[in-house]
Amino acid sequence: MNVRDLLHPGRRATPVQAVIIALALSTVATGLGLLIDRHGDVIAVSFYFLAVVLASTSGGIRAGVIAAVLSSLGFTFFFTAPEYALRVARVQDAVAAVVLLVVGTIVGLLVARMIDERERATERERDARLLGYLATKLLSGEPLDRVLDDFASALIDPFGLLRCEVSATMDDTVAARRAIGLEGPAGPSQTLDISIGNISFGTLTAVRPVGGRPFTSDDRELLEAAAKQAAFALERARLDAQVRGAQLDSETSRLRAALFSSVTHDLRTPLASIKAGVSSLLSDEVSYDPAQQRELLTTVLEETDRMNRLVGNLMDLSRIRAGALVLAREQGSIDEIVDAVVARMRPRLPGVRFRLNVRPDLPDVFVDPVQIDQVLTNLLENAAAHSPANGEVQVAAASYRGTIQIRVADHGEGIPEAERERVFEAFYRGDAAPERPGSGLGLAIAQAVVVAHGGRIWIEGAPGGGTVVVFELPVRAGSA
Amino acid sequence: MKVLVVDDEPQIRRALRTSLEAHGYEVTTVGTGEEGVLGVAETAPDLVLLDLGLPDVDGAEVIERIRAFSEVPIIVVSVREGQHAKVAALDAGADDFVTKPFGMEELLARSRAALRRRRPDEPTPSVVRFGDLTVDLARRLVTRGDVALHLTPTEYALLEALVSNPGKLLTHGWLLRKVWGRGYGTETTYLRTYIRALRRKLGDDASAPGLITTEPGVGYRWVAEPTG
Repeated sequence: MNVRDLLHPGRRATPVQAVIIALALSTVATGLGLLIDRHGDVIAVSFYFLAVVLASTSGGIRAGVIAAVLSSLGFTFFFTAPEYALRVARVQDAVAAVVLLVVGTIVGLLVARMIDERERATERERDARLLGYLATKLLSGEPLDRVLDDFASALIDPFGLLRCEVSATMDDTVAARRAIGLEGPAGPSQTLDISIGNISFGTLTAVRPVGGRPFTSDDRELLEAAAKQAAFALERARLDAQVRGAQLDSETSRLRAALFSSVTHDLRTPLASIKAGVSSLLSDEVSYDPAQQRELLTTVLEETDRMNRLVGNLMDLSRIRAGALVLAREQGSIDEIVDAVVARMRPRLPGVRFRLNVRPDLPDVFVDPVQIDQVLTNLLENAAAHSPANGEVQVAAASYRGTIQIRVADHGEGIPEAERERVFEAFYRGDAAPERPGSGLGLAIAQAVVVAHGGRIWIEGAPGGGTVVVFELPVRAGSA
Repeated sequence: MKVLVVDDEPQIRRALRTSLEAHGYEVTTVGTGEEGVLGVAETAPDLVLLDLGLPDVDGAEVIERIRAFSEVPIIVVSVREGQHAKVAALDAGADDFVTKPFGMEELLARSRAALRRRRPDEPTPSVVRFGDLTVDLARRLVTRGDVALHLTPTEYALLEALVSNPGKLLTHGWLLRKVWGRGYGTETTYLRTYIRALRRKLGDDASAPGLITTEPGVGYRWVAEPTG
């Protein structure tokens, strides 16, 4: 215990401290009284009053009362006749001693209460500040572990803790358990439920070091308040998770329903052609001439390709929707990907003329080349599908405000402005072209991939009719 | 010509056996990686068609184990894989990659190219011609029509690596190590720059290539057929 504690112990002065303070001040008052005028009872009484007031302010109510008693005794012993005896000869001395005792006690009580109130006010303010701070931490929207860490560490100093452990349970399982502070032997500790009503969200354990102050009822109250705030925050997190889950569920079931109807239709149609073609060829009843055989087999081949594309797209989309799209990004040039895709598409789409306009010396991009290849392939397939016979499809790439912009333009029928956003939805097919081949997934996949790269994709109208699909990829500064 | 087909799907084995036998190949089929490695050791095939998704051993490991004792051409025939699996199989020693479902013509063309590359009794000719392009590997001369092309040593080394492996998909890492040296492997920017320069000098259009094709994220392939 240091001197500062002794002088300013506040209302937390222990009984021993109170006795020491009272004894010291009464002794000083006696000494001063004797020094100045050993018969001057008025001066002595004044000093004793001063001692009582000082004892009350510095040591609280206990010190004040003890000082009053000691002062009264000291006055009787040293300053009243007969001297050095706890007796009084004169009535006025007896009255003075009693008044000293009573007034001292009352003053002590008043001063102590005043100080007490002031300290309580400071403490309430500090508690309010702490709770406010906790509230902002708890509602920060950061991941649960981080929030609990911040929460626990915010309690360490105000409560003089060795460590603070918080565990959060969600749906009866422990979602997170965090401990902040130091390892080591535990002193006084306090464990509270983090709960609202009878719903428990976890526990809060505050541990003081060995030899630390025991938890007072005030400490417990404040901890309870902190735990209550934690409970509200965890409740909110739980509700948020529920809402998100519900959204995901409805999204998933909507997708599943669309997928189901699309799959049954789009997979069965080519399967029907394949089965019809192959079973015709295997039939013993009819014999087909080579030209007819070739015709049937060409259909089978085309339909298997169509099925293969659809299955590939479905796999891509489900991977993306499941959050399993992991980009294998590398530093690369967009013109190389554009060239490779166009080179691959030319023989596959002989009815389309491709025209490239790729600016030389484009900055590198940091992309997954296979995924961007997929995006371009989908866009070129779409453009070709919507092009008139022997139509031209333009692919242009240029840098624009820290991005690389790739434009794929066709001279098809175009997309009405009102539909330009909806075409990116899975399974959406324009009203104008309900019978066209294609799964309605290509643009949805392209969008998901471009967005995963931190880019954007949108549709513009071409000046002479037709559609321009534009996507933008950010150029990463520096090299990777 | 003996072909070993390693695939766990009986339908694929049957389809491949029928088609390949019709084209005059002698076909052995097995269903596991262990049998595949053993099959190469016992029957010494001229070509291996290998599925990566085998039930017992990882595809890349099968390739490595075969490569430990045999230089037989290996074409990976597998469902669509990510580029990492593709690069891993190629770097483990596979010659080429054909994605399921494949057209029989494509598979046969790749098989012929792989067989041509690895015919041990026929030494690689020192002069190869591709249309009007002539590469004299002995004298390190490249001419287009009547004009001699001036290639830098790196460009020539890159061209030589490509021309010596016609039809083979060469990964970025392989080309970098081959041309730049063992310490290289990830500097794809160098490679791109030199491929671009080489294409320009050889007069090849990347968007309608007659000589070098690009497989984004994987590597490059010399596609021109030698013309005598």
